[in-house]
Amino acid sequence: MKKKLLLLITLATFTYAVQAQDTAKTDPPLMISGSVDTYFKYDFAKHSNIPTSFASDQNSISIGMIDLALKKKVGKAAFVGEMSFGPRGQAQSIPNNATDNNSYHVQNLYVSYDVTDKFNLTGGYMATFMGYEVISPVGNFNYSTSYLFTNGPFQNAGFKATYLFSDKASLMAGIFNDAWNVYTSVSKVNTFGAQLMVAPAKGWTAYINLLTGTLSGTEIDLTTSYQITNAFKLGLNAADFSAAKAVGTGGFSGIALYPQVAVAKDVTLGLRGEYFKTKTGSVTTLGPKPGSSVTAFTLTANLKSGPLTLIPELRLDNNKSLSDGFTKSGGITPTKSASQFILAAVYSF
Amino acid sequence: MCSQIASAQKEMLQLDEANKYVYYQVVDKQGVAADTLYQRGSYFIKMANFKRRPENVVANAIVTKGKFLVYNGSSVVKKEGGEISYTLSIETKDQKYRYKISDFVFTPYTRDRFDNMVPMPGIEVPIEKLASKYSQKEADNYLSQTGMFCQATSRNLKQYMDKISIARVEEPIKKVVTDKW
Repeated sequence: MKKKLLLLITLATFTYAVQAQDTAKTDPPLMISGSVDTYFKYDFAKHSNIPTSFASDQNSISIGMIDLALKKKVGKAAFVGEMSFGPRGQAQSIPNNATDNNSYHVQNLYVSYDVTDKFNLTGGYMATFMGYEVISPVGNFNYSTSYLFTNGPFQNAGFKATYLFSDKASLMAGIFNDAWNVYTSVSKVNTFGAQLMVAPAKGWTAYINLLTGTLSGTEIDLTTSYQITNAFKLGLNAADFSAAKAVGTGGFSGIALYPQVAVAKDVTLGLRGEYFKTKTGSVTTLGPKPGSSVTAFTLTANLKSGPLTLIPELRLDNNKSLSDGFTKSGGITPTKSASQFILAAVYSF
Repeated sequence: MCSQIASAQKEMLQLDEANKYVYYQVVDKQGVAADTLYQRGSYFIKMANFKRRPENVVANAIVTKGKFLVYNGSSVVKKEGGEISYTLSIETKDQKYRYKISDFVFTPYTRDRFDNMVPMPGIEVPIEKLASKYSQKEADNYLSQTGMFCQATSRNLKQYMDKISIARVEEPIKKVVTDKW
């Protein structure tokens, strides 16, 4: 009886407290989120062959990054500031690669304003809207990255406007710095970007993306995913990139398919099958030489335990030509194929 | 004590004949006609700003749908864990009304590339099956928040059905007289 009485009093106190807070209308608190990731990689040629963006260290227990994001929204105005520390968020995230390899890197730093419930304005340095994969390991199913991701933009600084027609369609258009992955423009803000989102069916979303500029080149991208059942999801990314004349000739195109199936409450298996083709020209990619191609298969499992995800992954890449860059053990004899194993751990909060 | 509160809130939900969670109450309103109660219920739906237009299934009955957010974590690391959609039905008769909040379905949220929490399209888990998809702790947390939401909705609805003045009375600002002393 005493316990029940105490419980009732506590409930009443809690209710009163909630009502008092409602009356005061306090601002939502500053929110912190982020992740930490670490990995072991072993390339079966005993040296790193596959040009994945992250998970680069051979036969080493290495770190990805600690990613820390601050977010707050008061009324219609919001900001996100996301910084990362560690190889994945520093030199491997490009902006610091050529200057200092040892400083932090900003992943997102933007402010936004909801002009109406359907119209939003955002400006700053943002993760790119292009493509299927992202820098944050929390946002990817596979730990290694696709050729399409590695060779596409990571971030774009700019100003964009997004209009939500309904739950099933939205349109974004924006103007961005003249180069990808830079905090400061080279000289102009003249890259145009647009994204059309459509949701043709329940669980199915598709994004048609365009990014074009006289220095950054032109990339057209389709990113779509369809949660066909609660257990089965199919994703697809297709893109075509042509380098700007100011930079050179060439580019790439490719397609990647991402089937994923949840086999148990905490276990999901996924395959990434990718075909990546480089265009003939002067521009080189992180991949096969210009005018060649590569096919890559990555089998990945996500084993979840609360906020922790263990990611074992096996990857096999097959180049079109012997001279596309892979070498056998010893690093001299060329070979068409390369394979690697990764075991990664990602903790998100 | 906190876990006791959570458990109490979860227990506010009942299981119906089909083993589905519902929040259900029959309330006596002596001396109030069915039509009056219906109008008050309709006004509540209007003021609560439900996205869906109410559907009139039978006379003196209102059915509408809505959704609410549920959260993970606490303090600065608190974030949206997902959203739960539900159906609210209110039926009125002379001198009494009943209401039911039911059909709870959970859609998880995921963090997008811009660090926003967004729904994972296509994943819908009836809350009765939360424990089979998520940890017991997460399932209990979401059920507890569902109970809290139902309690709050119930309190709010009761105010409208009792026709207690909802409008806040603006109290005159008390000013201090400083020129006479």
